[in-house]
Amino acid sequence: MMAYILTLLCMAVLFLVNRSEHTTASAHKTMKDNPLTSHALDTASGLPAIGMKTTLYRMSTDDTWEQITSQYTNEDGRLSHLLSDAEFTAGIYKLNFDTKNYYSKLDKKTFYPYVEIVFEIEKPAEHYHVPILLSPFGYTTYRGS
Amino acid sequence: MKDNPLTSHALDTASGLPAIGMKTTLYRMSTDDTWEQITSQYTNEDGRLSHLLSDAEFTAGIYKLNFDTKNYYSKLDKKTFYPYVEIVFEIEKPAEHYHVPILLSPFGYTTYRGS
Repeated sequence: MMAYILTLLCMAVLFLVNRSEHTTASAHKTMKDNPLTSHALDTASGLPAIGMKTTLYRMSTDDTWEQITSQYTNEDGRLSHLLSDAEFTAGIYKLNFDTKNYYSKLDKKTFYPYVEIVFEIEKPAEHYHVPILLSPFGYTTYRGS
Repeated sequence: MKDNPLTSHALDTASGLPAIGMKTTLYRMSTDDTWEQITSQYTNEDGRLSHLLSDAEFTAGIYKLNFDTKNYYSKLDKKTFYPYVEIVFEIEKPAEHYHVPILLSPFGYTTYRGS
């Protein structure tokens, strides 16, 4: 009887440990190979900024901007995958958000033809989150985690 | 406020003080889609720019304010995420006054159309 209970206990512990490892592994897998993320929230509506064209550039050795990717924010206002760990080298990057067209689709005017955030990556082994909190006549950005 | 249709103000929210002595450059977009520099100045002891342009120069169009944040923070021996901050905005009604400030800190900033 005791052996039976102990076995059940061991199985329960193993199950829980495996589950937590799986969750960690899943969470880690989501974060893995996605070193730079962004998020656009429309604070005027309290909703994610959906379907906004966003372009990522890296500054080249000749000081010109090299386009890496151009994507549209998803239904959560996020960009699914900007670049991989291998592509994410130290340097100066720029995220361009096409705010004018985004607001135009909502029949709204905005002060900003576009929003560009220029930032410097010193430690590409770290994760960088570069979101914008956007409204027609103001915006905020910050380095998040 | 007369003959000063476009003003700006840089506040350093990390220190709670005006961002003093920060180089700021104003551009207007030309008809050929290139940026034409209008003026380059340093923020004063109140973090403001004394006079960017006159009413006569302030025509409808797309403008850009470039704040040299890296050098500003470098003088304070601080690092910043932003080599510079550029705010691109559209002026539709040049008869109105526009205030385009930034609330700045090393790892974040905010801008808005003020009055």
